[in-house]
Amino acid sequence: MGARLRILALLVVAALLAGTVWARLAYWQVMRHVQLSASAQAQYHELVQLPALRGVIFDRNMTQLVVNTTVYSAFVSPDQVAPGVRDTVASGLSSVLGVDKAGVMKTLESGAKFAYVLRRFSKAKADQLRALKLPGVGLEDESQRSYLPGIAAGSSLAANLLGFVTYDGQGQRGLEQYYQAQLAGTPGYISSYRDLANREIVLGSHTHQDPVNGSDLVLSLDANVQYQAEQALSYGVRNANAESGSVLIMDPTTGGIVAWADYPSYDANNFNHTDPSLFQDNVSSYLYEPGSVMKVVTLSGAINQGAITPSTVINDPGYLNVGGYRIADWDHRNHGNIDYTYVLDHSLNVGAMKAMQAEGHAACYSYLKGFGLTQPSGVDVAGETSVPLPAQDQMSDAQYATTAFGQGIGVNMVQMLAAVNVIANGGRYAPPHVVERVGSTINPLLLKPQRQVITAATAQQMTAMMEDVVQHGSGWTSRVKGFELDQAGKTGTAQIPVNGQYTLDVWASYVGFLPAIHPKFTMIVVVRKPHYAGSQYDWTLNDGYLTAAPIWKNIAQAMVVDWRITPD
Amino acid sequence: MQVAGSVAADRLHLSSFAHAYLGLGAALVAVLFYLALAAQVTQSSYDITRLQDQQRQLIAEQDQLRYQEVTLHAPAQVQHSAAQSGMQRTAPVAYVPAQPVAIDLGAPAGASGTDATPLWARYLAALFNKVGGTRDVMAAGK
Repeated sequence: MGARLRILALLVVAALLAGTVWARLAYWQVMRHVQLSASAQAQYHELVQLPALRGVIFDRNMTQLVVNTTVYSAFVSPDQVAPGVRDTVASGLSSVLGVDKAGVMKTLESGAKFAYVLRRFSKAKADQLRALKLPGVGLEDESQRSYLPGIAAGSSLAANLLGFVTYDGQGQRGLEQYYQAQLAGTPGYISSYRDLANREIVLGSHTHQDPVNGSDLVLSLDANVQYQAEQALSYGVRNANAESGSVLIMDPTTGGIVAWADYPSYDANNFNHTDPSLFQDNVSSYLYEPGSVMKVVTLSGAINQGAITPSTVINDPGYLNVGGYRIADWDHRNHGNIDYTYVLDHSLNVGAMKAMQAEGHAACYSYLKGFGLTQPSGVDVAGETSVPLPAQDQMSDAQYATTAFGQGIGVNMVQMLAAVNVIANGGRYAPPHVVERVGSTINPLLLKPQRQVITAATAQQMTAMMEDVVQHGSGWTSRVKGFELDQAGKTGTAQIPVNGQYTLDVWASYVGFLPAIHPKFTMIVVVRKPHYAGSQYDWTLNDGYLTAAPIWKNIAQAMVVDWRITPD
Repeated sequence: MQVAGSVAADRLHLSSFAHAYLGLGAALVAVLFYLALAAQVTQSSYDITRLQDQQRQLIAEQDQLRYQEVTLHAPAQVQHSAAQSGMQRTAPVAYVPAQPVAIDLGAPAGASGTDATPLWARYLAALFNKVGGTRDVMAAGK
C-alpha cells in the first residue's frame, strides 16, 4: 500500500510537472502564436516598398509644368560617432548644410540611435557631404515635385491651379489634390527572407510586385499665355492698389482652360514656408457678385425669349421702384428713351431690370440655370465653391431685379466665364475643364455633349451688342490694336457687401472674347478692392473699365501675337 | 551487412584512421566549399548594393538634368535670359483700323457695258476664228 501510494504520488507529481510544461507550451504556442509569429517574421522577413513615380503634368504644347526631382536628407547616428570626432562631424555638417553647429553637437552628445540633420536639400550638397565621408552620417534620397518659376522670385507658375504635394506624397489643392489617385499610382514591393547576418536568402521564397507609376496629365493650359497673364495681372493689381486679382481664359469651343492666374500667389516649391492664406485659389473658391457682366446673361435671355430686341426702345428715368425699393442707375441720371444696345453700352441697371421684367421671373430663372449660374461649374480642380440660388418662387421681386444687373447673386469666376462663353460658342454651354487627358484617356468632360442654352441667332445679336460696348461704350479701354472693330466685351463693377451693407469697395471685372465672330479665346479679369489713384474723390475710378479692362487688353495683345490671331 | 564505403575501404585495406581522415577531408572540402560560396554571395551582395547606389545616383542626376532642361524652356527663364542678353520686347504692331465700307448687295446691277470694238475688227476676228478655229484664252483650273 505504501509503495502504491508512493507511486501514485510520484505519478501525480510527474503529471503536475508535465501539465505545467504543457500549459506553458500551450500558452506560447496557442495564446501567443500570432504575436510571436509576427516577431519572428519581422526578424527574417523583409518587405521593401517600391515607391511609384508620381505622374507629371504637361501643358497643351507638352511643356512640363511639374518635374519629379531627387532630393536628399542627411541623418546621423550619434551612438556611432566617437567623442573625439564629434567636433569634426559637426563642423562638416555645418559648413556643407548651413545648419547650426551647436545644435548638431547637442544631437551628437545625446547618444541617440538616429536623428535627422537636414531634410530635402539638393544633390550638389549631397555630393559635397558624401565626399567628406563623415562617420555616423548617412544620406537618404527622396522624390520631390519641382514647379516652374513664376513671374517673381517668390512664386511658381500657375501655383494656385496646380497645388502642391506634401512630403508624404499627398496632393494638396488644385489639380494635385483633385487628381491625387491618378497621379500617385500604386506602390510595389519586394518581399524576401534574410539570415542572421542580414543577408538575403537567395533560395528563399521571394515575391516581387512592380509599382504602377502614376498617370501623366495633359492640360489645356498654355504655359506662355499663363505667364503673360500672371505678368499682366501682377502689374495691373499693383497699379490699381488692389487687394488681389485673378484671370481666367477659356477656349470657347471646348471649354478648356488656357490660363488660370491669381495674384498674389505663392511658390509651390516652398509650400512649407508659405502663409496658408495664399493657398486659396480665388478663381474657383472665391464667390463674388459679378455686377454688370451679368447684364449679358439677362439681356441674352430676354432676347432669346422674344421679349426684347437690341433696338427695342425703353424709357430710363434713372431709377426703378421694385418691391418697395428704389433701384437707380450707377450715374443716377435720366437717360430718356434709349434702346437695349445703349443699355449695354452704358451699363444701365434700369434697362437690365426692365428686360428681366419683360421676359418674366420664370424665364429669367430658367436662363440663370441654363447659363450654369445656379450650380457648381464642375471644373476639375479641387475646392470649387458655389452658393445655390433660392428656389424660383422664393426669390423676391427685388432679388430678381438686383440679380438682373449682377448684385445679390454670388458666383465664382469659372461659373461666370462659362456663362459668357455661351455667347462666344454660338449659344452652347461648353463644360469648363483643365485636364484634356489623363494618361491616354480623354477627359470625359470633353466628350460631354454641349447643351444649347440660347439660339445661335441670339448669340450673334448679343455678340454685336458686346462689340458695340467696346466701340462706343465702357469697354473702350480694352481695345486691342487691329481688333478695335472685332472684339466683344463687357465691364462689371459690384460694390462689396459687409454685414448686409454695401461698401465703397468694389469687385471690378471685365469679360470679353476675340475675334468677335470666330473667337479664339474668352477671358475674364476680376480685380478685388482696387484703390485707383484719385478714387478717394471719385469711386467710379475703381470701375472695371479702368482697372480690369486694361489687364484684359494687355493679355489679349500678347495672345494675338503668340497665337497669331488675325481679325475676321 | 556491410555498407559500400566499408567494402571499398576493406578492398583498399584502409585502417580505421584512414576512415577518419577521409571523413575529415570530406568535411573540410564541404566547409571550404560553403565558405567560398558564402564569400561569393557576400561579394555579389556588395556589388548589387554598389550598383544600386550608382543607379540611384544616376537617376538623381537624370532628374537634375531633366529639371534643368525644363526650367531652361520655362517662360520666366526665357524672359530672364532674353533680358540678360539685351533683348527687348518690341512694341505691338500697329494695324490700320479697317473702315467699314457700305456695299448694297441688293441694288440693281445696272445696264451691261457696250462693246466698243469697231465693226471691221469684229468681222476680221470672225474670219480668223473660222479659218483657225476658236481657242480658250484661260487655262482650265482645278
